[in-house]
Amino acid sequence: MSELLRVEGLSVEFGPKARPIRVVDDVSFAIPAGGAVGIVGESGSGKSITSLSILRLVPEPPGRIVAGRIMFEGRNLLELSKSALPAFRGRDVAMIFQEPMSSLNPVMTIGDQIGEAIKLHEPLSAAERRERVIELLRLVGMPDPASRIGAYPHQFSGGMRQRVMIAMAVACNPKLLIADEPTTALDVTIQAQVLELMKSVRQRLGTAVLLISHDLGIVAETCERVIVMYAGKVLEQGDVRSIFRRPAHPYTRGLLQSIPRLDDDRRRLFQIAGTVPMAGSVKRGCPFYARCPLRIEKCAAEMPPMFRYGADHVAACWVTAGETGAPVASAGAAA
Amino acid sequence: MSSDMAETATAAPTELPPPEGNAWRIVLRVLFGRPATIFATILVALFILIAIFAPVLAPYDPLQQSALDINQDPSSAHWLGTDQFGRDIISRLIYGSRNSMIFGLLSPTLSAIFGTALGVIAGYFGGWTDRVLSRVIDMLLAFPELLLAILIAAVLGGGFWNVVFVITVAFIPGFARVARAATLAVKEEPYVEAAIAVGVRTPVIILRHVVPNIFPSVLVLLTLWTASAIRLEASLSFLGLGTQPPNPSWGNIIRDGLNNLFGSPWPIVGAGVAITIAVLAFNLIGDAVRDELDPELAE
Repeated sequence: MSELLRVEGLSVEFGPKARPIRVVDDVSFAIPAGGAVGIVGESGSGKSITSLSILRLVPEPPGRIVAGRIMFEGRNLLELSKSALPAFRGRDVAMIFQEPMSSLNPVMTIGDQIGEAIKLHEPLSAAERRERVIELLRLVGMPDPASRIGAYPHQFSGGMRQRVMIAMAVACNPKLLIADEPTTALDVTIQAQVLELMKSVRQRLGTAVLLISHDLGIVAETCERVIVMYAGKVLEQGDVRSIFRRPAHPYTRGLLQSIPRLDDDRRRLFQIAGTVPMAGSVKRGCPFYARCPLRIEKCAAEMPPMFRYGADHVAACWVTAGETGAPVASAGAAA
Repeated sequence: MSSDMAETATAAPTELPPPEGNAWRIVLRVLFGRPATIFATILVALFILIAIFAPVLAPYDPLQQSALDINQDPSSAHWLGTDQFGRDIISRLIYGSRNSMIFGLLSPTLSAIFGTALGVIAGYFGGWTDRVLSRVIDMLLAFPELLLAILIAAVLGGGFWNVVFVITVAFIPGFARVARAATLAVKEEPYVEAAIAVGVRTPVIILRHVVPNIFPSVLVLLTLWTASAIRLEASLSFLGLGTQPPNPSWGNIIRDGLNNLFGSPWPIVGAGVAITIAVLAFNLIGDAVRDELDPELAE
């Protein structure tokens, strides 16, 4: 598979320039065309800001992208001029947001909102556009799409609104669909429906997906590659199978252990001790140091480089790399 | 379509939600929702009809003087009597309602358009645009509307369009402030970010996503200020800065009547009652609109 998107050394800072807070620190990864990549991490790990950076939606000020490149089909998105952004957003990369209840304009019909996305990028007549909207609504499983086209968002449930959001996002056949916690606000049965839908849309349209989630189960089910972020840094990434079978970083191990299992009757759930450090508070060494069960002195002094644990599996940990003898991954080969 | 698709399609809920009340229904509910508003609606409708059909309804020419009939008390010939020039008072009141209605409806509408534009621009773009516009608005807000209107009217003089301009400018800061505050809230809504994310350009974001969503706040202000505009026009005309004599307006009828208080009190009584009723009626409707569009403020 060819590479669609490559993020290299992305760093994003917030706050005053004199005392910046680095919320995304030297993040690198790649998404193959048509592939599905998941970013997992706790709240505040920088996963949403990373995804917003791709669409250049980081609010500036107070935020600013201070380093890195985001290569999309040979173009560095960070070098696009402000006036070139609208033509790129929606057509090449589209996004689904977390809150379906408020991501639709309450005073516009859903037909108009989906149509707006089409109108921006494709020269179609009003009748053709209407046909297209109906087709999209059918694609996302909206019953009786022709009659729902004039309905307003408040007439739909959360799950149905998320379907409308997906229809809006894929209206112009984007090559990459970023889904920022698309199911967090939905209840579990609807979650499954929306995930199924995303999967089938992906298969039909060949869209690559970047899924942001804090739910490892969802990522395991939908994605081929996983990126584990913590306090703005990538701690581990690789193919889903090897990360879930042989997690290399103590943080990833902790996350996997925290998932309650049906066949396990322990009374207390496992939890990682401590709390997530404040963004930008870790100046030196591994950000997970304070909570790590395996920590050694070196971890506090120096941030480990990416070590290679498998064909497509790297992690940043001095200890487990030392135990397994994993070699340092060459720069740039991280993804 | 894959089998997954068929599954999700069938799993989705199929029942349609009940149809919502359409816009016309809401208007009827606002205007006829409570006894007090029904009363106010009828009064406003009456005033508007009187203004429109003034030439038909007025028994005399409002400018026609008659030296023989000065300072008459109400009679069957002159229902509210005549003033010091022998002009029929009720005819003058009927023609005067035209000025009040036009200023009451036209000026706040113009203020709403310009004020909203300024407020939305300040609120949406923020930064220096906001700082400059907001300071100008704050400065204008520091003057009471009447004072501001008098200042401008004193410079420009009377005349129809000047009065429209004066009242419009006097109300712009209020609309701008409300529109700016509402814009600050709406621009953080996820649907605005979602629209940006599909590539909608800034002017379209403002016109299609921001303005329609702040419209209720502006509409509430508009209806409440219609009454203020009527009052402001009357005040200006009373001070001789609004509608110029001999053209009648409720304000200058009172002014003329004041000089002739002992000759005939009827001009002042008639115009005063007319202003009071009109302001009250428009205020009641304004309250009803506010209660409908902003239920949290309703008691």
